[in-house]
Amino acid sequence: MTVRPILGSSCAKATSAAEMRYRIDRPIRGRRGARIVGLDAGADLIIERIAREPWGHARFFALAGPVEDLGDGGSASVTLRGVDGEKCSLLAQLDDADVVIMVATIAADAAAATVIGAACTVRAIMTAGLVIADVARIDSTVAVMRPHARVLMGSGDERDVVDLLTALRA
Amino acid sequence: MGELFRQYWLPALLADELPEDDSPPVRVKLLSERMVAFRDSEGRYGLIDEFCAHRGASLWFGRNEESGLRCPYHGWKYDITGQAIEIPSEPENSTFCSHVKLTSYPLVKIGDVLWTYMGDPEKEPPLPEYEFATVPPDQTYTSKRWQECNWLQAFEGGIDSSHVSFLHSGGLKSDPLFKGTKGNDYNMGDLKPFFEVADSEGGLFVGARRNAEEDTYYWRITPWVMPCFTMVPPRGDHPVHGHFWIPIDDENCWTYSFDYHPVRPLSVTEVQAMEDGHGVHSENIPGTFRPMANKDNDYLIDRAAQKRGDTYSGVKGIAMQDASLQESMGPIVDRTKEMLVSADSGIIKARQKLKRAVEALRDKGITPPGVDPSHHRVRSAAVVLPREAAFVEACRDDLMVREGVRQSSV
Repeated sequence: MTVRPILGSSCAKATSAAEMRYRIDRPIRGRRGARIVGLDAGADLIIERIAREPWGHARFFALAGPVEDLGDGGSASVTLRGVDGEKCSLLAQLDDADVVIMVATIAADAAAATVIGAACTVRAIMTAGLVIADVARIDSTVAVMRPHARVLMGSGDERDVVDLLTALRA
Repeated sequence: MGELFRQYWLPALLADELPEDDSPPVRVKLLSERMVAFRDSEGRYGLIDEFCAHRGASLWFGRNEESGLRCPYHGWKYDITGQAIEIPSEPENSTFCSHVKLTSYPLVKIGDVLWTYMGDPEKEPPLPEYEFATVPPDQTYTSKRWQECNWLQAFEGGIDSSHVSFLHSGGLKSDPLFKGTKGNDYNMGDLKPFFEVADSEGGLFVGARRNAEEDTYYWRITPWVMPCFTMVPPRGDHPVHGHFWIPIDDENCWTYSFDYHPVRPLSVTEVQAMEDGHGVHSENIPGTFRPMANKDNDYLIDRAAQKRGDTYSGVKGIAMQDASLQESMGPIVDRTKEMLVSADSGIIKARQKLKRAVEALRDKGITPPGVDPSHHRVRSAAVVLPREAAFVEACRDDLMVREGVRQSSV
């Protein structure tokens, strides 16, 4: 039986703690465009608080108005309002987005979830939904967001938003 | 994190590692402590400090006889509680002997596993009630393997449903404990699942949904019970499987892998497949818990099989497909260099829950989730639901242990 030598490139050596120190230690280019959008007044307050923390390229928004009032205008007619009060169009924000995180409490604008979800789908932008409220009261909001968020999480703790954004290096 | 683990009953070794009274003692390292386990002449199990109080010789060399473990160096003898019961160099009935006691932990057999509790004796919780350990013996099988990395990066694979359609795609077609179910078709028919993460009393439920029929979704629901118990969503009537990842030290863990069926004995064929290392089990080097495919032989990677599509990574077997990649991250993966995506929300949430539980225990003495045995009585599920249904609501009963009721699975 031939004995296989353990070479420098073998798993036995490569996975050692000593070898792992040689992993390239330069930042990997990654996320550049997290967009966080509140879908109701409760979520807007959460986002206002969170936006004050230091983030990378993340941008934080509320809906400038109820989307269901926009009729058949579709995503082109949706306007967002940044935490600084400036208004901008949804589609402009999606231009360089790589993930959109929709945040809601108990009164999510269902039409907004639908329009944002669809706009992200056609642009191949990942979507996530966070429903932050007493977990006994989130079912209907979760149901509203389910079709439009590839990842959905309900929680009673708004720190979940911070933790998710931190983990995503937003 | 060590203090958190000391709140729980943990698998310490397989029961058949101590197959009979007075069988040889076994070295056990858990939570960075070295111990020996032994089964005395009366069938009682003990887990005590590995080293003799006298000169520090290892009690692994001990003579297990006449209701105690005797150090062969100078004959000091200990019972299952670590109490010295004979010190030959001292006078008969010496008070010194009664004063010598090694650290010990309780060791209790439930199912195929010997469990220990390494925390404050005053706070010892009730015994574990995981279903795999409490069904009749002919309905369950447990194996273990040594995994050469930190427990957390191994455990995180257990709640990461999105890797199955890639890394284990070969196994869905060929593994005798996985193949031939409708669920596998759904799995392979939709490689971009949607995820939903929901809190549970003991940890989390992570739901992955894929398109099934026109008006339905196929949901695979993975429970996590803190700190390190996960179950794999079932496939058809195959036995249900899952894992415990138990820290040996910072750079090694034991992976306990179980298969059980809630309502029927495992067949001879199924048990043989498990013993042969199929499904979630591994083929180990005889007499050890080290997998045959390990880092020293590059996991016996077969690039031709990879090219043919027999295996996705070239490594054979679901267990070693996971272990090889988790070990490839290094003994403790550098998480400052990872780039999580929102599909990793289950992992993100689990880390957060662990961190908060550690802080709540440290700062306020709050008992963490998963200690209460009622939290153990969960099941995984693989179900087809109407598109409008919420999995937590629709599967409330499916996700709980129901005596005499089979697993919910397609």
